This record gives sequence, structure tokens and C-alpha cells, in this order.
Amino acid sequence: MQINLQQLETMPGTEQAVAVVGLAGRFDAHEVPHVRQALTQAADRTEGRVVVDLGGVNFIDSSGLACLVQGMKYCRERGADQILCNLQQPVRIIFELTRLDRAFKIAGCVEEATTTLAARNSQN
Amino acid sequence: MPKFRLAIVTTHPPGKGSLNEYAYHFVRFLRQKGEIGEIILLPDELPPGQTYRFEAHPGHAPVRVIPCWSFGAKDNAWRIRSAVRQADPDAVLFNIQFASFGGSKVPATLGLTAPYLVKRAGYPTIVLLHNIMETIDLRRAGFTGNPLVESVMRFFGAQVTRLLLAADLVAVTIPKYVEILESKYKANNVVLAPHGAFEDAPQPSFELPPGPIKILAFGKFGTYKKVETLIEAFKLLQDGSRPPLELVIAGTDSPNAPGYLEGVRRRYAAIPNIRYTGYVDEQDVPRIFSEAAVVVFPYTSTTGSSGVLHQAGDYGKAVVLPYIGDLAEVIAEEGYSGEFFEPGNPRSLAAAIAQVIDNPDRRRELGRQNWIASRGLPIAEVVDWYLLHFENLIEQRQAATAYRLPAT
Repeated sequence: MQINLQQLETMPGTEQAVAVVGLAGRFDAHEVPHVRQALTQAADRTEGRVVVDLGGVNFIDSSGLACLVQGMKYCRERGADQILCNLQQPVRIIFELTRLDRAFKIAGCVEEATTTLAARNSQN
Repeated sequence: MPKFRLAIVTTHPPGKGSLNEYAYHFVRFLRQKGEIGEIILLPDELPPGQTYRFEAHPGHAPVRVIPCWSFGAKDNAWRIRSAVRQADPDAVLFNIQFASFGGSKVPATLGLTAPYLVKRAGYPTIVLLHNIMETIDLRRAGFTGNPLVESVMRFFGAQVTRLLLAADLVAVTIPKYVEILESKYKANNVVLAPHGAFEDAPQPSFELPPGPIKILAFGKFGTYKKVETLIEAFKLLQDGSRPPLELVIAGTDSPNAPGYLEGVRRRYAAIPNIRYTGYVDEQDVPRIFSEAAVVVFPYTSTTGSSGVLHQAGDYGKAVVLPYIGDLAEVIAEEGYSGEFFEPGNPRSLAAAIAQVIDNPDRRRELGRQNWIASRGLPIAEVVDWYLLHFENLIEQRQAATAYRLPAT
């Protein structure tokens, strides 16, 4: 699995940074430690403002979902949020089957996700 | 969101009803979650002299226990609704299966109306349903042997399922159950929630303690879990060609089959090296599993995913399973592996057990694979999924309430 957490963007209308973590490949139990570390680092850099781009993920199992849940909790504990975007159909089906699509904020693309984070930020 | 108070309708140790072990681990981890302000446990009433005990730990949510129903009673649903109203939690979880409230048709069915009544009373409600009527073999599970009665039971079972689906969410542990409930009942509130692994222990040893090689069967026996074939197989295995063996039958009668194990004990009294442990206390479970060379599932059918399989995985044990229903599916979907046998065939079962106990490398390989599979998703993380669902339901309820309030 490829994990890219270097990308930092600035939220629209603010000077605050948001981390974009791009994932690609198969997201299963074997990848969880690496992804968990990447999400934690991203959240630590940006006070919990994280976008996870799942555009390259073609498979996710319950361990992968749980890893994203932990990432979201970590961000929310810091008063911010983790937003998912670019879900491919096989991944979206798993989110719908588990109804976690209603627990996460899910955006269509990275830009929409950063806008959503900015809106949430202005509400706080 | 502020901390919320969650009521859980369930069995729980020292109560001996089915799913008590699952509830024990679920509550154990739920207490540690920051989202929880209080757990209100609504278990069945215990026999005289027994009590539910929850010690206070710093950082753990307190547990208040209100025993409010009893297995086989006909008024359980009303009593549960009354207890919920009295406790007035923010949300309610039912940890149940189709025979949770009774071993015979009427109390079992009446009890299953409890989620509907609680939902109607205005509480956000999730039912964790460990089996569904469509996959239960009613004859083998001991409910009926009459085809006409079976048809009637399935009809009423479908109506009960519809009542259960009146809950805000119905969580099931197998994808196939989601498909069945969505296609047959046109349900849109069914959610897949993994069973989860019970233990958070480090990697177990895959070696065996000194002494006889122990073959373990664990559960509540007498309906679809029957040990006769296993004992016949054990007799075949004790042919003098192996080191000493011991068959450990750990657990009690199913509530639907009182006296079953005593009957088996009498019938097979002549076969040596069989140990009946009776009920296994929670603190003895690790030892029972750790000492076993192989865990055998002497099932003739199944009524849901197997907590015992997950426990076998937790302790790194090889397993021997029948070629039937959900067990094979769980094996395939969750990464477990084992030797398989033809149900009801002692020679087939003896051969499958021999594959494990005669080949230490194979035994260790299966144990390691099952341990890795059991690590997939700890129950501590499954609990987080439920919390997210509850938070959504509570927020929806609060939003609906706010919408109904008149402007001031």
C-alpha cells in the first residue's frame, strides 16, 4: 500500500494547515500500523485537521475501517475532524454496509474536504 | 457530544445464559470509553446467592445493574420496558439472539418484542442480533421436530423479525445476514458490525503443556451442539497408537436441553479419559483454552457466528469444524483455518482431529493462523463503531426534539 502524508494545504479563508493523507492499494490488517502512524503524525502536525484521500484504495476490510475510526476519534479529541474523500465504489459499499458512511464526514474530492473542514473550523 | 448513559439488555456472567461471554467483554471495553458516562446493565435475574459485581476503576464508567427479566418468563418485554423507563438512559442496546428470553416458543417470542416496546417508549435502540430466523435449523436447534409446527414458527419468526427491525438499527455480524434482512424484509436499518476478538493478550505460546493431549469442546450443549459423535471419535482415537489423550467437555447444558450432559456422561461412562468441567468461570477460560491441543466444534447446525471460534483464535488454537453453514462462512470471511469433518460421522471427525494432534507442525500452523485472524479487529474497536452509531441516533433524536419544540 502507498501512503503519502506529506501534502499540507491551507484551509480556504484561513491560515491554518490541513494535512492530506493519500492512500492507495489494499487497506487491510497488515497496513493498519503504517496508516495509523501516518494519520497520527498528520493530526499532530495540524491540530487534528486531516483529509484522507481514499481515491487509490480498491479494498478495505474491518481493520482498515477501524483504523479510520481511531483516526477520526484522535482528530475529534483535538477539536477538529478527519474527513474522507474520493471513495471508490468497492470501498463505498463497505462504508454503507457498516453504516460508517453516516459516522464519517465524506467529501467528493480533496478541495471539498478542505472546504468542509474550514466550515467546521469557523463554527468552533 | 457530552457523555451518554447506555442501557444494555443482555445476559452477563455470573449469569449463564447464551451471549454472556460476549457481553462480559463488550461491557469491559465499553466502560473504558470516554464517551460513556454510565452503563445501566439490564441482565436476567440470578439464582439466590449470586450477584453481579463490577468493581470501580479510575477512568472507567460506573455500571449500575438492574436485573429485570428471567429466562422463560412471559412478561420479560414489559418488565424490560419498565426498567428502561425507570433508568431513563440516553440509548439502549439489546445483545440478543432468537432464544435469549426463553427455551420454548411463547416466552422466546414475547421477549423479542422488548426492543419494539423500548423504541416505542422513545429511546434510541440498537439490536445486536447474533442470529436470524432464516438461518436457524429449528429441528436441530431443539425447537420442534414437526414440519407443520416449523412452518408456523417460521411465520411467527418472520413477524418477530419485523418487530426487531422496528429498532433504530439492527446490527448483525455476518454480511449474509445483512443481505437476507434487506432482501426479505426490505429493511434499510441493518448494519454490519464485526463480532470482534475478545482478548487483548499478547501472542500465545503455540506449544503444549506436559501431560495428556487435550481435545476441547466448549459451549452449551444438547441442541445443535452434541458431543456423541465427538465421544465416538475420541474412542477411535484412543487406539493405543498415540500418547495419552483427554477429552475435555467444557460447559453446561443448553437451556433448551436440560439434563443432556448427564445423560451423555451415563451413556459413555465406560470410555476413559473424558472430563466434564461443568460451567467454566470467566477466570478459568484462559487456562481451559491454553491447555488444549485442538478445539472441536461438534455442531450439527449453527445459529450464528461462533464466539468459541474467536476464543480459539485468541488462544492460538487449531480448530476442527463441521462442513456446515455459518462456521464455514466465518472461516472463509475472517481468515480462520481448520480441519473439517462430515457432521455426525465419528470416523471423519477422528481423522480430522488426528490431522492436528498427530502433526505438531500442522497444529502450530493452524493455531498461528487463527491467532492472526482473531487479531483482525479487537472487540475494543468494535465497541467504537457502536458508540458512533449511538451518537448519531442520539443527535438525530435531539434534533427531532428541538424541531418539535415551539419557538420562544
